Amino acid sequence: MRISRIIGEGVQSLGANKLRTFFMMAGTIVGIAALTVIMAMGKGTEKSVMKKVNNFGVRAVMINAGGGKGMSPPQEGITTLRLEDAEAIRNQVSGIDVISPGIQKRGMSIKAGNAQTQATAFAVEPDFHDAWDWYVKSGEPISAEDMATMGRVCVLGSTVHRQLFGEANPIGESIQIGNTRFLVKGVLESKGTSPMGTDFDNRVLIPLTTGLRRVFNQDHVSFIRIKVQDSKQLVEIGEQIRKILHERHHIKPPQEDDFAIVTAADIAKAARGISGTLSILLIALAALSLIVGGIVLMNILLISVSERVKEIGLRRALGATQSDIFLQFLAESLAITLLGMLLGCALGWGASMLVGMFIKAPIVITWEPFALAVVFSVMVGLFFGIQPARRAARLKPIEALR
Amino acid sequence: MIEISELEKTYNSGAVATQVLKGISFRIEAGEYVAIMGTSGTGKSTLMNIIGCLDKLTSGRYSLNGTEVADLDDNALSHLRNHELGFVFQQFHLLSRASALKNVMLPLIYADKYPEDAEERATKMLESVGLADRVNYRPSELSGGQQQRVAIARALVTRPSLILADEPTGNLDRKSGLEILDIFRQLNRQGHTIVMVTHDETTAVHANRIIRLKEGRVDSDQIVPEPMDPEQELDLLKKEAQ
Repeated sequence: MRISRIIGEGVQSLGANKLRTFFMMAGTIVGIAALTVIMAMGKGTEKSVMKKVNNFGVRAVMINAGGGKGMSPPQEGITTLRLEDAEAIRNQVSGIDVISPGIQKRGMSIKAGNAQTQATAFAVEPDFHDAWDWYVKSGEPISAEDMATMGRVCVLGSTVHRQLFGEANPIGESIQIGNTRFLVKGVLESKGTSPMGTDFDNRVLIPLTTGLRRVFNQDHVSFIRIKVQDSKQLVEIGEQIRKILHERHHIKPPQEDDFAIVTAADIAKAARGISGTLSILLIALAALSLIVGGIVLMNILLISVSERVKEIGLRRALGATQSDIFLQFLAESLAITLLGMLLGCALGWGASMLVGMFIKAPIVITWEPFALAVVFSVMVGLFFGIQPARRAARLKPIEALR
Repeated sequence: MIEISELEKTYNSGAVATQVLKGISFRIEAGEYVAIMGTSGTGKSTLMNIIGCLDKLTSGRYSLNGTEVADLDDNALSHLRNHELGFVFQQFHLLSRASALKNVMLPLIYADKYPEDAEERATKMLESVGLADRVNYRPSELSGGQQQRVAIARALVTRPSLILADEPTGNLDRKSGLEILDIFRQLNRQGHTIVMVTHDETTAVHANRIIRLKEGRVDSDQIVPEPMDPEQELDLLKKEAQ
């Protein structure tokens, strides 16, 4: 086809001056490489954010006893968080799916026969399982009857199970938590390790009433776990809860809170960290090098057009139309940016790997940056190629042949 | 073949209008070998550009093979150049980075139908101008005469009805020039129509007819009774050298 012959003429001229061709490509190479790295890092960050948020619970809000910023676990000395707080939140805030207060005590000694271990004890309501989306894999969960009777029953985390019983079935066995004896009625599914290295499975669950009256002898709780109906409402519900607790605890900002609210949105924000800022910088770099590269490309092409005036005139004399010449130079411009794109993708891929290796940043390489690279390089090639191509096409054959 | 009547051409550069051609009329029939002569500034290059469909006339008529050229748009003119005309320039105008073969094939790129035997055809053209052993040489590796022969092969490859040569021997030594004129002579014998623009009397007398221009008008239009034979001149040149 005529069009492919003319595109061929445009592409062939790339080989004529290789250094110049490289300069014309440089901006595209850097821009596309930066783009590829951004996308790889962005995808990597998003993946690890999603993992952390999923671990925490997509619709979860945690109210921990004790003030302080961020994700610190409940502080044990604080006695102000109470069941009545949970009740008030349940009654006053709409959009709550499950609300489940509980006590958390770290480093409880747990014995079964001669075996002994240390684990975190959780005194919880039956709602625990729904609030955390965390269910028993064998035996029975904590029940309403256990609550009503202040039953001395417990559910083991899989680490505690392994430490005390190995592979043996613990259901119906008796263990000692602190100084109290408990009957094992279930074993929890395994949840693995937190990003901070805490073993989620090194825990034991007992009924909340039993914990309050029989084990810890206290009337405050250490946390209230909430699952909202719609994750879009996380921030809003968090703020409503803060208001209610301020009122109930008689706290007037700037007085420091005696509780901390952590939502899935906070977890995501913290997990994204500085990667957002870094992405913006890299995006600016990519955009800048694509634009500057495009301008360099355009100018070198314009120089090349005025150097090749005779060639253009000759082609016109031999029968090339204006659009043939236009197409030839546009094809040249596009070929440069597409070639630059390929090199840029390769460079970006390599750089992403290095970034992943050396700064341990999560990197995910997908097809999207490459698709985007094609789009951007075609845009740059077209946009900055049009002016030189038009100038070439408008040359009058007699002027050009002189 | 060519019918020109009352052809005028005026260049406007700013406020100044310069009339270069002031009413030219002549006919050239198929199979003729015509030299258009004139000293520089007589408008022969302008006339050549108009005949070559590279420039537009201001008034008058020009028809090429029955086509009124003045009525055509840029695309149609390009098409006409590709189909009907073969150009030979004083400066050869070859693409320096392409081989002789690629240079000869260049006009075919712009043909409506790319011949399947394009390469074969181009090779044959190079053979016919005596460059069978230079097919893959670049212009810089060829002598001036050889480069002009590549240009002639390029002019012939589209099988045009008219060959237009602008001072084809202007950049060549006498021997190479005669070799080019010898090729023209042979092409004319085979039936090709040739129009050659030159300022050089010794070149012009190889044609069968000379149209002389003077100050934008036809000064004379004469048949050459006995055109010079390049072959004889070449023989003579050889003897002189010995």
